Order: sequence, then structure tokens, then C-alpha cells
Amino acid sequence: MKSVPKLIARFIGILLLSVILLAIINIALLGLILFKQFPDSSNSDSPYQYAQTVADNLTKTGDSFSLDVNDSTTLKKENIWAVLIDENSKQVIWHTENLPNNVPNSYTLSDISSLTSGYIEGYPTYTGSSNDGLVVLGYPKKSYWKHTTPTWKYKFIANLPQIFMIALSINVILILFIYLWFTGKLTRSVNPIVQSIKDLPKSKRVKLNEKGALSEIAVNINQTSRILQDQEKELKKKEVARADWIAGISHDIRTPLSMVLGYTSQLENSQTLSTENKQKTKVILRQSEKIRNLVDDLNLSSKLEYSMQPLNTTQVNMVALVRQVVVDFMNNDIEDKYAIEWLTEESLSSCMVYADKDLLKRAITNLIQNSINHNPEGCTIYVTVQQQSEQCVIQVEDNGVGITDAQLEKLNHSPHYMISRDSGLEQRHGLGLLIVKQIVESHNGKMTLGHSHYGGLSVCINLP
Amino acid sequence: MKNDYIKKKTILLVDDEPELLKMVASILEEEGFEKVFTADTAEHTRALVKEIPPDLAILDVMLPDEDGFSLMEELKKEADFPVIFLTARGEDEDKLAGLGLGADDYIVKPFLPKELIFRMIAILRRTYKKETPYVNLKNCQIDFERAEVLNDEKHLRLTAKEYALLYTLYRNAGRIVTIDALCEAVWGQNPFGYENSLMAHIRRIRQKIEKDPSNPESLITIKGLGYKLMTKEEERDEKRS
Repeated sequence: MKSVPKLIARFIGILLLSVILLAIINIALLGLILFKQFPDSSNSDSPYQYAQTVADNLTKTGDSFSLDVNDSTTLKKENIWAVLIDENSKQVIWHTENLPNNVPNSYTLSDISSLTSGYIEGYPTYTGSSNDGLVVLGYPKKSYWKHTTPTWKYKFIANLPQIFMIALSINVILILFIYLWFTGKLTRSVNPIVQSIKDLPKSKRVKLNEKGALSEIAVNINQTSRILQDQEKELKKKEVARADWIAGISHDIRTPLSMVLGYTSQLENSQTLSTENKQKTKVILRQSEKIRNLVDDLNLSSKLEYSMQPLNTTQVNMVALVRQVVVDFMNNDIEDKYAIEWLTEESLSSCMVYADKDLLKRAITNLIQNSINHNPEGCTIYVTVQQQSEQCVIQVEDNGVGITDAQLEKLNHSPHYMISRDSGLEQRHGLGLLIVKQIVESHNGKMTLGHSHYGGLSVCINLP
Repeated sequence: MKNDYIKKKTILLVDDEPELLKMVASILEEEGFEKVFTADTAEHTRALVKEIPPDLAILDVMLPDEDGFSLMEELKKEADFPVIFLTARGEDEDKLAGLGLGADDYIVKPFLPKELIFRMIAILRRTYKKETPYVNLKNCQIDFERAEVLNDEKHLRLTAKEYALLYTLYRNAGRIVTIDALCEAVWGQNPFGYENSLMAHIRRIRQKIEKDPSNPESLITIKGLGYKLMTKEEERDEKRS
């Protein structure tokens, strides 16, 4: 979740930069416009200036006044009226023809003062002084806006830069707050999306609220999750079907196999059978037992593969468990050509692990059975249990034929018999071992195959 | 013969597969069991139990008309006899369900006849132990009822621990019993560090039952693993095979 704060920091940087740049550009632009538009007195277009020009160009001939022809036409064209107010009588002594009726003919001093800075009847007025009085130009209504009371405290003007900076910072802070509030809302809506994208590969079910700014993405993610879930369900269904199929077969094969085992066992002990036939019966019996083990292994293996085998974990003393397995082999009359040597230190009476007793028993049984199966000429099997720090280490070795490095490599890295396409090796050397690996791994343990210094195969199991 | 009385027990076999019934019956008969009855439905079983109460029943879990678990519960209500399930259902849940309901053993098909016979005899011995007054060893006899060893006309009492050890060994006569199983039989669940005590008790038992305790003939040590009790009958079996 580091990416979101990083993104926000970056956004804030960009935002600050753009606020400052905007302020600068705005001020510059405003200045430029004001500079262009300001009714500056030095500008000839300025109404102040023009009023003075008109006053200067007004000439007196006798008792009457006449305006320069140029000015006359300009005034007419611009719809500007003009009056001349006598210096002494404060009476209008001259005016242009377009003078509106509501403009008064006589003025008091206060009238003059207000028209200088303001308006007459809504006409913005400008004054120019001539020898005979005051020339007043009346511009059309709404042509100019006059600031009639332009008064500020001097301190205010003097502090203007500071005030400007304060205003700017308030603005920046305000914008930041608005931004943070907004991104807060955004991250709140982005966070679930980020989280759900992270959840997707873990094949968790994702259900996002499909409202808000990012609803489209949410819809898409929900859809993806749905598709993934459906596919997984479908896959699981297939796996379950396959495991069920295997379970069904191994179930159905049990009763017929019981008959085979039962009758062959009887035949083996029969007094009337010839030695040769007894030998044949022995072979049938041994092979049937192999089928029995295979059926059991196949079913368990497929269940472990699809995690359908619940682990009934309890405290298990591995020394006792392994000892029992070894004794079971001895009690079940393994042939004389096989010998089992118990090499566990006598002082080690217990080595506790938290595990499924039956499964581990199966694993150890398989290891010993494996040594027997692959050494038809007979061998000695060496069994050791050791406590190494927090782990329980069980080692089953033999002095039999062992395996080649290539087979070792293959068994150590073969993912699973069901995936493997090479049928030869697994069948000769393996369901027994692979199931041990599965059991050990389901207990978070480790199985290592190697060459024994006794000459044959060595299998080492580490259980936490 | 020591097991003679066991061979006279009535055994009831229930399975929906007639072929299998025939086979198991023939195995049992060959082994010397004289009274073996078979049934292939729950209904038939009920009728048979009323007529001839068995000493031990071997039940299948899946019967055509009823499930074996509930049949066992019903049968056990009427008469108390040990039940062994013999079934193709090998799941751990089934096993636990069966044993949880009070079955004495649970054997998953396919099974070896030897295994079935051994477990049957073990259960029969355990259930009808009162009928086992004497066990003949090479140099003495053990009277479990009185917890005594008869050695050269001398009566030697067995202590409680010695009795428990000997009885566990006897129940598995001819087979190795692990050190752990023996400790458990005497000191209960999860016994650790009793190995030396166990050895001391074994030594004392040997003084009572062996001619030469340092050269045991009946109670044999299997180094590192456990002990084995050889009765006269087991010795005979061993020689025969």
C-alpha cells in the first residue's frame, strides 16, 4: 500500500507548483489589462485629457464662443455633450447642441465639486479649465465608470505586499485542504480497488462496491474475480470428480481383492499343494499385496493432492511411532532375507511432533516397504530417529540396490505422479515414496532422498 | 491347546457379498473355529442373533437393507458381544465413527486372513479372559486369575505392574510389543523416561519365570524395540512354519 501515499505526495507537488504559477500568471495578466485600460491622464484618449483639450480649443469671439471644427465633429460623433460654466455667475454660458434637457443650467460650488469627481444625471463628467470658466464634458451614460470615493488608509496601501502574500497563502492552504479532502475520498475509493487487485492472484473472492468515481474499474474487477472464481470452482469440481473416481475404484476393488488375498493365503498353507504350486501361490499373494498397497496409496495420494484428507493432528511421539512400525513389520513375519536394524539412541525415549499419527505411520511403513519392494534379493534396513534442535529427523536406509543419480534427481524434483508423463520410473520407484513426500509436506516437513553410506537408498524425513 | 476354548466360540459373519462370506467362513473353519454362522442382510442378522447369540460378530458397514453402524448399536443393546467391522470403507471418518460407536476393531478390506484371525483371537481373549487360568511357558505356568507364577511347584506372586506387563505380553504372545506400548500399559498415556523402570520390572519377571534369567527363553528382548513372550504354543507354531 505504499503506492497510494507516494501518488498523493506527487499530486500535492504538482498542485502547489500550479497554484503558484497560476497566481503569477494571473497577476501579470491583470496588470497588463489594467495598464492598457487605465484612464491614465497622460494618455490622449483619456476623457480628462480630452476635456482640457476642448477647453483649450474653445475660443471667445465677442460674447459668443466657438469650438474648433475637429472637436465639434468628434463630440457629435461620440455623443458627448459639453458646457461652459461661467467663472463668477456659475451659469452655463455655452453648450453644445446635443445637451440633454435634464442637465441643469446653473451650478453651486458643491455641484461642481461633485461633478468633477462624479456624474451629472448619470452622465460621467470630466472638466477642463479655460480662461472664461469651467468646461464640462458629459460622456454618454455607462461609457465610463468613475471611482467616486477612492480612499484607503495609508497603512493599508503600505502593507499591500504582505496582505497579498497572506491572501495567497490562505488560498494555497484552502486549495490544499480541498485537495486533501477530495483525494481522501478518492483514495477511499481507490484503496479497495488496489486491495482487490492484490487479492485477485490469491484467488480470494472480490466484491467491490460498484458506485462512485471508479465504478467502471470496480465493475471490471468484480467481473474478473467472478470469472476467476468460476474457473476455479470448475477446476475444483473436476479435481473432486477425479478424486471421487479414484476413491470409487479403490473402494470397489477392495472386496474382490479381499477374496484373492483370502483364498491365496489359504492355498499357501494348504497341505496338499505341490511345492511348485505353493511357490506360485506365494507369488500371487505377494503381488496381490502389492495391489492392495497401491490401491491404498492411490486413494490417499489423490486425496492429499486435492487437500481432501483432513489432518487429525495430535501430539505424537515419533520414537514410539517408528518403533511400532518396525515391530509391526517384524510381527508380520517379513521374510528372513530382510533385516531391520533399529539404530536410534537408547537414551532418546521421546521426540514429540504435532502431527497426524495415522498418516505418519503410513509414511514410515511406506519407506520400509519401499526398501523391501526394491530389493527382491534381500537387504538390511536401518532405521534411526533423532532429535535435532526443534526437529524430529527420521532416517530409513538400506544396503540394497539403491538408485541412480538420474532417478534421484527425478524423484527429488518430480512434482507429482499425476502430472508426470513418464510412467516408467514412477511405477517402479514410486507411488510409495511420492506419497511419503506428500504426507511429509502436508506436515510442513521435508523429505530428502540420497545415497546411503550402507550402499542403498537413504530417505531422510525432517518434521518440525 | 491354549486357544481351544476360543475356537469353540460362536462367530457371526455379516456381509452382503455371499462369496466373501464363504471365503471368510472357510478361513475361520480352517483355523479351527467350529461355530461360524453367516448372514447377508440386517434382517437376517437380527433373526440369527435371537436364535443363536454370538460371542463375536464381524460386520460389514454397508448392508443392502441397513447401515452396519446402526445395526451394531441395535445388536449391542440386546446382548453384549464384541464387534469387528470388516469393510471396504477405509476413510478415517468411518473408522472413527465405527470405533466411536463402540466397535472393538475396524479392519479395512482388503485384509490378510492372518491379520483378521490375530485380531479376532486378541479380542476373544480379552473379552473372555476368565477362561484362561493357565498359560504354559517353557519353564513355568502363569495363573493370571490369581496373578501367580507356578515355577517348580513354587507359587510366586506377581506385583500389579508385573501382572500388567506379563498380561500385555501374553495378549500379544509370539509378537513383539514395543517398549512404548509396555510403558503405556503400566504407566498410562504418554509415558516417558520409564525405560529404566521397565527394564527393572522385566528383570524381576524373568527371575520368576525363567530358569536362567540372564539367558531368557520365554521373555525375549528385541534390542532397542521391545519384548516378546513365547508361550509353549507359540513355540510350536514357530517350529511348524
